[in-house]
Amino acid sequence: MRKRDWRLGALVIFVALAALAAACSSKSGSNNGGGSNAPAFQGTSMNGAGATFPDPIYEQWFQDFQTVESNAKINYQAIGSGGGVTQFSARTVDFGASDAPLQSDETSALPGGAVEIPTVLGGVVVTYKVSGLETGLKLDGRTVADMFLGKVNKWNDQEIASQNPGVKLPDEQIAVVHRSDESGTTFVFTSWLSSQSPEWQQKVGADKAVQWPVGTGGDGNDGVAAGITQTEGAVGYLSYDFAVSSHLGIAQIKRNDGTYVTPSVDSISAAGGILKFPISPDTNILNSSAAGAYPISSTTYLLIYTDQKDKDKGQTLVDFVYWALTKGQDTASKLNYAPLPGTIRAQALTQLSQVGYQGKTIEPSPGVKA
Amino acid sequence: MSADRDPSWHAGVPPPRRHSRLADRLFSGWSAVIGFGLILLLLALLLELTAGGWRTFSRFGFGFLIGRNWNPVRGRESFGALPFVFGTLVTSALAVLLAVPVAVGLALLLNEVRGAIRNPLASFVDLLAAIPSVVYGLWGLFVLKPMFDRHLEPFLTSTIGKVPIVGALFQGNPNGPDLFTAGVILAIMIVPIVTAVSREVIAVVPRDLREAALAVGATRYETIRMAVLPYARSGIVGATMLGLGRALGETIAVSMVVGNRPQVGTSLFQAGATIPSWIASSFREATSVGLHRSALLALAVVLVGVALLLAFLSRLFVSRTERLVAGQGAGGAVETEMLKVT
Amino acid sequence: MIVAEGRARPWVSGARKWQDRGFTIFMWACATVAMVPLVLITLYVATRGYHALSINFFTKEPAGPLDPTAGGILQSFIGSALIVGMATMFSVPLGVFAAVYLSEYGRGWFASAMRLIAEVLLSTPSIVAGAFIWSVVVVAMGSFSAVAGALSLTVLMWPVIARATEEVLRLVPQDLREGALALGLPRWKVILRVVVPTAGAGTITSIMLAVARGLGETAPILLTALGNDFINTNPLQPTDAVPLRIYDYARTSVEPLHVFAWGGALILLAAVLVLSIAARVLSTRQQKRIA
Repeated sequence: MRKRDWRLGALVIFVALAALAAACSSKSGSNNGGGSNAPAFQGTSMNGAGATFPDPIYEQWFQDFQTVESNAKINYQAIGSGGGVTQFSARTVDFGASDAPLQSDETSALPGGAVEIPTVLGGVVVTYKVSGLETGLKLDGRTVADMFLGKVNKWNDQEIASQNPGVKLPDEQIAVVHRSDESGTTFVFTSWLSSQSPEWQQKVGADKAVQWPVGTGGDGNDGVAAGITQTEGAVGYLSYDFAVSSHLGIAQIKRNDGTYVTPSVDSISAAGGILKFPISPDTNILNSSAAGAYPISSTTYLLIYTDQKDKDKGQTLVDFVYWALTKGQDTASKLNYAPLPGTIRAQALTQLSQVGYQGKTIEPSPGVKA
Repeated sequence: MSADRDPSWHAGVPPPRRHSRLADRLFSGWSAVIGFGLILLLLALLLELTAGGWRTFSRFGFGFLIGRNWNPVRGRESFGALPFVFGTLVTSALAVLLAVPVAVGLALLLNEVRGAIRNPLASFVDLLAAIPSVVYGLWGLFVLKPMFDRHLEPFLTSTIGKVPIVGALFQGNPNGPDLFTAGVILAIMIVPIVTAVSREVIAVVPRDLREAALAVGATRYETIRMAVLPYARSGIVGATMLGLGRALGETIAVSMVVGNRPQVGTSLFQAGATIPSWIASSFREATSVGLHRSALLALAVVLVGVALLLAFLSRLFVSRTERLVAGQGAGGAVETEMLKVT
Repeated sequence: MIVAEGRARPWVSGARKWQDRGFTIFMWACATVAMVPLVLITLYVATRGYHALSINFFTKEPAGPLDPTAGGILQSFIGSALIVGMATMFSVPLGVFAAVYLSEYGRGWFASAMRLIAEVLLSTPSIVAGAFIWSVVVVAMGSFSAVAGALSLTVLMWPVIARATEEVLRLVPQDLREGALALGLPRWKVILRVVVPTAGAGTITSIMLAVARGLGETAPILLTALGNDFINTNPLQPTDAVPLRIYDYARTSVEPLHVFAWGGALILLAAVLVLSIAARVLSTRQQKRIA
């Protein structure tokens, strides 16, 4: 009977699917158990979530780390810093990641103690497109704030001209382009503007998205880069890794000591020199006083519980962070992130020693130290 | 709608054996329980979301619906749904305006043509409904948006944009994601369901009526206008509502092209946010320490309320057309068509 | 293309004739306008997605951003199969039993209410299903998971299968039921042995349509399954899915991954279209058979 045939077929498929699912899940289950008795620790799988800014370097690191510990399948989903803190706090992920330090109410909402470990640095770059104007225009914080406030609206304004003697500035309207979505880049940029201009701080303030006095919005770094490219006389801000590949003019920014600095992997890296441990709610590296530091720099953190519930996961996490802060740092500049300065790496590694399992510090495996 | 087609089980049937009767009871009881599960599912969904959004409703009350600020920063929390209600209404209204004439025209055509063309044409339209939302979004983001930015939107600005009052809708910076692109994507997405349902309500218009109109010398256009459309009108309104409901709830495709920026303004060429697009883009990011997550669930309550109301109203309108032509054997054809494009 | 109704047409004035012609043109214009997007989308997805298709694409997990093309999205294919497979296992029995109740037992206001609710549930915005399952499953389990993803899809697929299968069961001729009952078979056996098998192809059709919908859904998965860069087959762990991967890759700053998004879209579109077309062919055959 044909009728019976299809029913039988459906049953077979059903059972096969169920068996497959069962077989697969038992296989992945056994992955978790092994490892600790094996000759060399090979890591285990785990989940993390959080900041979008370091996503490319984290993805690369988690890939590369598999060559060190072959079973360390670390799944990282870039859902945003706020989400990272929330999921970390709810323990729905094994570690979190955030561009901003934990705030005191966030810390008190955590189910246990946690350390915040900086991993890489990034910068926000003021970019522009004005024909006939070379890259490297000199700008100070107040001028940039005034441009974004709409007070300086011509490229040949006195405020710009006085900082750029000898540069021929066109009599052209300034078109401001900013991010339209919520972003950490906007937070860093507006925080810096607030630190440089009391007027900005009072009228606009610093946040992941603000009420822009003037200009047009672009969605994401892509959108802003496209907006600047298409508009003569445009000025905007981009995260450093985007700015280098966009072929737009990149401004030199004035430090608080009066010198002008071009954003680069080295100058952003230098800014990290002022990081103080342990990380506190108001830690930031804006206007870093370190020698040669680029003023609009920021860092990003991994959030890790000090009391690990699972021995293998704890070990994998400690191994990974140790590796990322040592060998992994070389990869950073290839993706246009700035590595942490050497002294800061050492201090961050000291923080890592707070992470333990059942009251005992988890030492990095010999494999990652080699 | 079902009484006439209900199986009449008891006519002239010998009484079953006793153990079978028990098995029968178990079987019918079991299927009733599972059927009842559908009702429970809807109740649970409404209750759970309302409970989640309760803190927001009780803190802001009615002000939640008309508030214009959305600030999740703790200490400065303020939540207003207006920009999202605005974005949802504007994009959906645009979608319905663009899609309904096309869908009704197409539905009329599908009822007029005969032979080899009809079925492939109808299937093609239904296939539009099968394309996943994320594929529409991808295409909208990389193909439609740049095309609109460069050609259509500047063109509209320089033509309709010059007309007083209406022109304001078409002014502003054509670059970037905007309500207009989202509305067009939504229009494409709802054409199939509006077509399918309209087509069925048009199909049930009594044949006598058309023939009578043709017999007195009416042209095909006049027949449709005077005999077909008056009958099908409330069904088409129902189809439109169903399409509107789909447009309101569409998430991913809109989220990819609308810009997700909560604001209220006059231009269609500015970025906006709809309720579902905003939930999708900020839900994973939202913390439950403050009100942020609760506010998003409150938005979901508003959305699901409107969508369910529209679905319910749409049923009423469609069944009115069916009642108008009762006895013509329209039956469940409309539902079947709706299911095909679900 | 419009065929006259087989009778001589009375004389009509020029203006009315032109009006009629204009209307015919309008209807065809509508058809063209509706077709263009389908053709354009299919063409773009096929031509751009084609470049992504390679052995790696189907057999590897994602590689790092330094050399993205060395990787693939195997974990998304496996994750989609796992999530949609589980969702199908949940929603088929639920949907078919609900359909049996509605078509074989349901009478009166209770059944009408149930039918109305099933229809109203068809209009549930998919993001709402995701938020609902997030708040009852993800929070309770303390983890994003494939099961949560499957449950959020079940919320969407259950009513689809229930209503579509009910329509199919109703098409089964009454004589068949009566004949079987007359032979002394109990009702439940009649339903399981006669009614459901007769409607078999139709039931499969409705399941296929529901599966096609489940495969393409992104929003509920986003809030419940989270995504994963590695193959995961444990139903209790975060899991990837093809639509989710397309969504993420479409918005990333790593440009080569945009091609992967198109590649994923090509595979997804092909799968969904094949399912829908097969479902339509099956249902046409079924209708012919019963008639």
